[in-house]
Amino acid sequence: MLELFVYLLCGSILVSGILAVSLDSTLAAAVSGGLASLFAAVCYVLLGAPDVAMTEASIGSGLSLLIFLYAIRRTTEKAP
Amino acid sequence: MAEEILIVAAILIFLGVALSVLRLILGRTVIDRVAAVDTLTVVSISLIALYAHVAGRSIYLDVALVYGVLSFLAVLAIARYLEQGL
Repeated sequence: MLELFVYLLCGSILVSGILAVSLDSTLAAAVSGGLASLFAAVCYVLLGAPDVAMTEASIGSGLSLLIFLYAIRRTTEKAP
Repeated sequence: MAEEILIVAAILIFLGVALSVLRLILGRTVIDRVAAVDTLTVVSISLIALYAHVAGRSIYLDVALVYGVLSFLAVLAIARYLEQGL
């Protein structure tokens, strides 16, 4: 059962990474990148490393997505 | 009895992850994808809580707690971004 979940999560990381590279919208790409690190955090918990998972969830999924959104907002022209 | 409940919960979580990833792939607008990400976060929190019960380690519940707070912040940031506020 546990291995099945780990396989599912690894496949989801793969799908999120491919989407983050191939999507057209910058916001959707940033969200997909955050989702990849979200799945990685759950994978770390299932593999028995809760401290790594907590750091990954706070920095990878929370902080980096915020910084990406801020950077996108500051570097694109004002939307109509 | 408890075993069957855990297996049913695991199957439901599995279906939730699979269908949300499908919505993420097929999603036409950004809003669809953001909703899929929010659903996936809730499903992930329930998966971590279920695994904390199965493994018998309460330290995993702390991860679920941090996860819930941060995912709320992330969705809030995306919403502010879409409303031109960030």
